[in-house]
Parts: sequence; structure tokens; C-alpha cells
Amino acid sequence: MARRPQSSSPTSCEIDMTPMIDIVFQLITFFMFTMSFEEIQADERVKLPLDVLAKPPEVKQKHAVVMNIGFLRNVKGERLDPEPLLFNFGSGQKIRPLEASKYMEQEARLYRLRKVELEDVTIKIRADQEVASGIVQEVIKQCQDAGFSKFAISAVADTSK
Amino acid sequence: MKRRLVPSNDKLQLDMTPMIDCTFQLIIFFMLQLKIIQPEGDFNINMPPPGAPGPAIGAILPEIKVTLKSNPDGSLAALMLGQRNLGNSPKVYGLLNEEILQIIGRPGDPATKDTEVEIDIDYKLHFKHVVSTVSACSGKLDKKGRLVRYIEKIKFTPPRKPSE
Repeated sequence: MARRPQSSSPTSCEIDMTPMIDIVFQLITFFMFTMSFEEIQADERVKLPLDVLAKPPEVKQKHAVVMNIGFLRNVKGERLDPEPLLFNFGSGQKIRPLEASKYMEQEARLYRLRKVELEDVTIKIRADQEVASGIVQEVIKQCQDAGFSKFAISAVADTSK
Repeated sequence: MKRRLVPSNDKLQLDMTPMIDCTFQLIIFFMLQLKIIQPEGDFNINMPPPGAPGPAIGAILPEIKVTLKSNPDGSLAALMLGQRNLGNSPKVYGLLNEEILQIIGRPGDPATKDTEVEIDIDYKLHFKHVVSTVSACSGKLDKKGRLVRYIEKIKFTPPRKPSE
């Protein structure tokens, strides 16, 4: 009598999932630790100047208004508009740096309502490296007129030197 | 006849699919949240409002004046310390840093702590030159990478629009 050929085993081929799950959990842990819920007011369109002395501050400024002054650029980094703009500021619309005074007065009013002395508020100026310095000076003057006196200019840490 | 119970070899299998789904969703969420930002630092500028009292009367050294002249394209034409032209080469900031150290004598000296630097800037000059000048006046990194502070009080002159 001819023997019937042995039927293939019904058990399916099992993949060991343990290494994949290990890696996935490690990735989740990494992303969780690097994530920051802090609201970052920096704008990536602003190409900050590089400097060796630019080190992140050890003590965070308690009250700060960030002013991003930069240019609208295309993907290649070429300027689309020769005049700089204030990004992420005021109503979020296109604001020219020379029109910042009314927004600065609003900011000053808000701080006064919160009983914060304007001397304790730092105006953090994140200006593009190619912005005309006179524009930055004009912005500082408008802030001074609104009552602010503490300023900080931002630069990216130059680690190449 | 008595039936013999054969112990089963099958393991109890947990369905891992929902957990893997969730973990991948979490990874995607955290990946999209990730922002790669270069470390930034700040230079403090002391700009009291117009009409505020000037430099401390007891200051031993007079105010140091640095002037930055610009070419029409925004590049640096000349950096002047007082009346001295230090030039416009890439090494000019190092030179300024050495000159500032000579003026204050020793970093951290209480006698020169209140010395102030006023930077007079041409309107069209690119801002990167201003940052380099502020940095050269602020201090220097020592061999261990720590900041040796020269001048703490730095201010800018009011803007001067170029005459058309």
C-alpha cells in the first residue's frame, strides 16, 4: 500500500519580536527625554550669527520677549524680500521691524497688568546675520520708548573653533 | 476504556499587534515633536531709556568707544577703537579683544568693572559684525573653555539713518 506523503506541519513560522520591541521602546524613551513642552519662540527662518562665546545661559530669563528679525527666503536660502520682517510676533501677520512700536506698547501694558516691572523683562533679539544693524537699533529704540531697558542679542554657538 | 489526557504543547499566545500599533504611533508622535535646534547664547546689552543717568561717576576708566564703518553692501569697512583704525580683516576682532584687555589691564579687576563700551554702528552694516564686536569686547574663552569676562556693560548708539 502506497504511503500517503506526510502533511506539512500546521504550525506557522514565528518571528521573535523581542529585539524589535526592545528597540522600539528605546526609541520611545529617547524621544520622550528629548521632547520639550516648552514653547519655543525661535524662528528657523532667522540665520543667527555664529560666535564662540555664545553659550546657552545657565539661568533662564524669567520674563523675555523674543523678537525674530529675518528675511523671507526660498528653499535655497535666497532672499525673497530685501526688507526684513518680524516673525512670530504681534498678530502673526507680516510686520516690518519699524512698525513694532504699537506691539511693544501692548507687551509693556500686559506686563504692567501682571505687575511685572519692565526692568525685569529681557527683550531677546534674534536677528539674522545679514540684517542691517540700523534696523536692530531701530527695534531697540522702539522697545526703549515702550519702557524696556534690558536687551540680549542671540547668536549660535560656534563649535568649529 | 479510560481515556488518557495528553498535556498540550501549545503555549498561550498573546496578541502583540495592538501593543506594536500603539508603540509605533507613539514613536511617530515623538518623532514629529522633535525639533533639532542648535545651542544659542545671548549677549546682554545695557540700553537704559533716553534721559536715564549716564555711566557711574566713580568709574576709573572713561567710556571705550568702538566705531563700525560699513561698505554700501553691508560688509565691514573699518573697525575703530577710539580714533585708531584697526582695519577690516577677519583678524580685526581678535585685535580688538587684545586691545580691550590692554585697556582694562586684568579681567575681573574691581577698578575696571564698571567700564562701559559704546558701539557706534553704521546703519547698513550686517548684524554679524556687531555680534562679533560685542563678543570681542565681552571677553575670551580660556584653555578650559570658560569665559573670562572683560567688559560687562555694552551699549549701542542710537540709530543714524544714512543720508539719502
